[in-house]
Amino acid sequence: MTDNNTRDTTDDSARADGGESSNERRASSEPRSDGGTTQAPQRHQNTDYLDEEVNLLKPSTPYMRDHLRIVWAGFVAWALIVFGPVTLTAIAPGVMTTTMPVLGFPWHYFLVGFGAPTGALILAAVYARQRDKLDDKYGIDHSTAGPGESETSESGEATATDGGEPRADGGTER
Amino acid sequence: MTIPLQAEALDISFKLLPAIIVFLMMASFLVIGYVFKVADTEGMWVAGRGIGNIENGMAIGANWMSAASYLGLAGLVALSGFYGLAFIVGWTTGYFVLLIFLAAQMRRFGKYTAPDFVADRFNSPTARALAAFTTLLIAYVYSVGQARGMGLVGQYVFGLDIIPMIVVMMTITVGYLALSGMLGATKNMAVQYVILIVAFLAGVYVVGFTGGYSTVLPQIEYGALLGELSRQFTEPFIGGNSYYLWVATAFSLIFGTCGLPHVLVRFYTVKNERTARWSTVSGLFFIMLLYWAAPAMAAFGVDLFAAVNEISPEAVYSGGQAMSGAEGDVIVVLAAQFADLPTWFVGLVAAGGMAAAIATTAGLFITASSAVAHDIYAELINPDASQRQQVLIGRATIVGIGALVTVTAFNPPALIGELVAYAFSLAGTVLFPMFFLGLWWENTNRQGALAGMTVGLLLWITSIINSVLPAYVPALADVAGEGGALVPIYAQYVPPIGAALVGTPLVFLVTIAVSLVTPEPPLETKKMVRQCHSPEPMGQQQTAEDIVSNSGGDTPADD
Repeated sequence: MTDNNTRDTTDDSARADGGESSNERRASSEPRSDGGTTQAPQRHQNTDYLDEEVNLLKPSTPYMRDHLRIVWAGFVAWALIVFGPVTLTAIAPGVMTTTMPVLGFPWHYFLVGFGAPTGALILAAVYARQRDKLDDKYGIDHSTAGPGESETSESGEATATDGGEPRADGGTER
Repeated sequence: MTIPLQAEALDISFKLLPAIIVFLMMASFLVIGYVFKVADTEGMWVAGRGIGNIENGMAIGANWMSAASYLGLAGLVALSGFYGLAFIVGWTTGYFVLLIFLAAQMRRFGKYTAPDFVADRFNSPTARALAAFTTLLIAYVYSVGQARGMGLVGQYVFGLDIIPMIVVMMTITVGYLALSGMLGATKNMAVQYVILIVAFLAGVYVVGFTGGYSTVLPQIEYGALLGELSRQFTEPFIGGNSYYLWVATAFSLIFGTCGLPHVLVRFYTVKNERTARWSTVSGLFFIMLLYWAAPAMAAFGVDLFAAVNEISPEAVYSGGQAMSGAEGDVIVVLAAQFADLPTWFVGLVAAGGMAAAIATTAGLFITASSAVAHDIYAELINPDASQRQQVLIGRATIVGIGALVTVTAFNPPALIGELVAYAFSLAGTVLFPMFFLGLWWENTNRQGALAGMTVGLLLWITSIINSVLPAYVPALADVAGEGGALVPIYAQYVPPIGAALVGTPLVFLVTIAVSLVTPEPPLETKKMVRQCHSPEPMGQQQTAEDIVSNSGGDTPADD
């Protein structure tokens, strides 16, 4: 990887395009007196995600907690849609194999062959939508992550180093 | 082997128009790839990473359209009835699990082959070799299903006997592979997807319409036909297809989807993690276009099979004129042939199946050759290997695996869809737990990963030896006797097709337990994992490793 030789460039350009940028944000993680009442974007600004443990069962940041709530809700709904009908068919074959009106499918066949995949597709769209909303709540904008697209890779790194979001922290520290 | 395993009902003869269609389809993949070729690697790098979610979704769809989806799926639904739906569920709904747990995190991690991910996450060349070996096995098993598919369908177009046909088709595949390599063509997966889905849906719509089964929505309209088919088509849990086997199969396919290297690599080309998420959604939609229609084609095929052979619906499943496994595997083509459609049209449907199989196999062979040449040979056996040596080893791998796949496909142990499912259960058992724990629990360490992968590999290999090998090795067949498995109870609970239902949780437990009793991974590694979950946007060219080594350098200034 090129990280080591480009690091100097990175720091320079970070300062050039952000001024206070990363140093400021790190300093801001210490005085957290207002932690309880801050808005989500602010809490997001005050978190250094590289210092917070990743554990599926013990989310350590507010963002992770919110995210995992969506993940687990989606997963439970998914498990019911995918394995529910087939399990019901095993438990109560008589009821499940009755024929549907109009379409003519036996219920179990339709719920498994059409319902489960379609349900998963809808859930997928719902999840992606929820994640977008979550990003909005925390003031995260992925479209600004891509200046690297048209520029060199060095400036791309610099942008991400300083976080990429313009003053979402409301200026408490400024 | 006295009776070749070919589809008796298929019209086997050389047909000029279909042959031309096959040729044009393969040529279009190459030509389009060549036209879209970007001159310098730098340009390709940036352009490649800028792909949006619709186009990437189509690429995901194209990846998925192997002989297993195109041919095998309808075959399983036709032959195995309700059990066949486990394949529809398994090969679609897994994308949701991939989406919520892995897609964006993988994009942030920035490593997309299983060996690269495992090596970087667990800091171990041995782990890399285990992952490379698993990748190689997956490519091999997956390709056997493709070879069988292209051989069976090839017969409709070229009219050779099954064995020479498989040899010819595999030769075409290696030729296609070499040609696309020489042209330096970047595969245009989106175009490939469109060609394949059009060929498949055209078959379903036209057969449904001319047969009087359906009009605008065959995907739903075939329901009315189900009452007229044999009860075997819809009856749940008949014969050996128990509820346990159904769930085990679906489970393996779902988590196999999340462990398959060629699925993950598609996230490499997207702009950012948001695009990674949405392209999973659109990819699932594009896959569903095929999966909604496949059971309809199976139902039409089964009904036409009875009508053309003038047998009762029940006789499709039992008695002398019953549908054979090979006939089931080409039901998509057979249905078009039975519907008395023009030869060129049947040829178009057949060509789609062959093109899907050839393109998939070519991709798998490239994966296999890089796993051997780069991840096993250069990393482990001969660290001083020159570029030329690696290329030679890579080519030898392609020839070797090609020969092995060809020979295995002469007398395959199962249907196309089932063969491919073996590969999924391997991916779900060995690779999925590494991806999942590696990304979601930062304390997963090298020792845990090594122990977990070893246990997973052993479980899958013993399952294959137990259930599949006795059919090939006379000595084992004697031991196995009637049931066909060495240890029937093991075959019942750990069938090769559903090995992941037991295997995945077991590998999770072993990996977690060993990680807990051995030292934690270094902070650097943990930070890499954290970076994968951080909501901070990342630059397009960055990997988690880049960010961590940057911030690692900055840290002293912090305190």
